[in-house]
Amino acid sequence: MAAPETGVDGEFRQRVVVVMTTVLARLLDHPEPVTEDMRLMEELGLSSTFGLELLLELEDQLLILVDVEQMDQEKMETVGDFATFVADHSRPG
Amino acid sequence: MTALEAVSVYLPPVRIPIESLAGPFGLTEMQVKLFRRFHGLREVSRDPDGSLYDLLMKAAAGLDALRGQEHRVRYVLYARAMPVVAPYPVNPLHEVCRALGLGHALAFTVTHQSCAGGLLAIDIAGRLLAADTEPGHDSQPGPLALILTGEKAFTREAQMFTDTTVFGEGAAACLVSAFGAGDRMLAYASSVRGEFDSPTGENDARLQREYRPSLAEVMHRALDEAGLTLDDIRVVLPHNVNLVTWQRMCVLLKFPRDRVVLDNIPASGHVFCADLFANYQTARERGLLRPGDRYLAAAVGAGGGATFAAMVFEH
Repeated sequence: MAAPETGVDGEFRQRVVVVMTTVLARLLDHPEPVTEDMRLMEELGLSSTFGLELLLELEDQLLILVDVEQMDQEKMETVGDFATFVADHSRPG
Repeated sequence: MTALEAVSVYLPPVRIPIESLAGPFGLTEMQVKLFRRFHGLREVSRDPDGSLYDLLMKAAAGLDALRGQEHRVRYVLYARAMPVVAPYPVNPLHEVCRALGLGHALAFTVTHQSCAGGLLAIDIAGRLLAADTEPGHDSQPGPLALILTGEKAFTREAQMFTDTTVFGEGAAACLVSAFGAGDRMLAYASSVRGEFDSPTGENDARLQREYRPSLAEVMHRALDEAGLTLDDIRVVLPHNVNLVTWQRMCVLLKFPRDRVVLDNIPASGHVFCADLFANYQTARERGLLRPGDRYLAAAVGAGGGATFAAMVFEH
């Protein structure tokens, strides 16, 4: 499980994780529950397009705007990494 | 040295909202939102009553520098993304040449580099003209090449890359000289990646991963060849694939986003090979280019392989 970076609101990050894992399971039609430690590319096969769709769903459900400019897929190996990024790079929408 | 002598752009006034494409293309509400929210695409230009000939002629009509200089035009290069745009024996390029009084010029099409074809055409035009011309023997004005770009978005593939971009109609015309006083081309770099031509799409994910680093690589290579760095570049003229790609390119390049001319993406879409010229015109209209400024044009042609290309100019 990826530990939240310093400065990331842990409670908010947990809400991101809940929504993200739910949406990912549906978006990717994943047969088992998606967990924080799952690897986005290798295990879930998440493409950059699905990644943007996921962000849209997160924005809608959490009423936030995510700053995608700073998104670096190389640094986001797991679902938890992605959740930390969103928690750290979003503002109220 | 290859130079752009004059540029004219025609973007049709009709704008089609992205939402109206949802039905014909079977886009989900989420896909439309994705185009708007992240890709920055709101509407695209279309010329529903105009033919390809009309589009190209409207661009050429704005090229005042061509008037009276037709005899100097030795080559006409039509750079386009689609290999075939008209049924034989219809040839819009030859029709345009005749209408412009350029029937004497050698006219040909530059294809197979998709939307990076405009940069390739500039390079080819410059080299052809340089081979014909000796610098310093210019008591007579030197020969010119006319570059045309512009396409009709008349098939599904020509209208949209799902989840990536929406194509707009438009056209551009550009006069090129070998040793002129216009915007001088300082360097050109390209990378043709045939391995991304896969009918099964097996390399699509790899192309997505390598897209931005590969584009950055040719941009830096062009700068190196010009003996410059990004710090020397006043503005970047992008291809208008979408906003998020260029926002993330700016992070990768560590280049300020407000110096990338992204104005045309929301209102015109990705106008095939004409983006460079439309963005050049916008940069001039906005006063972003002063004499002596260096700028960098960059484009990716994707479809049937991928070509990454960059060109450095001095205004």
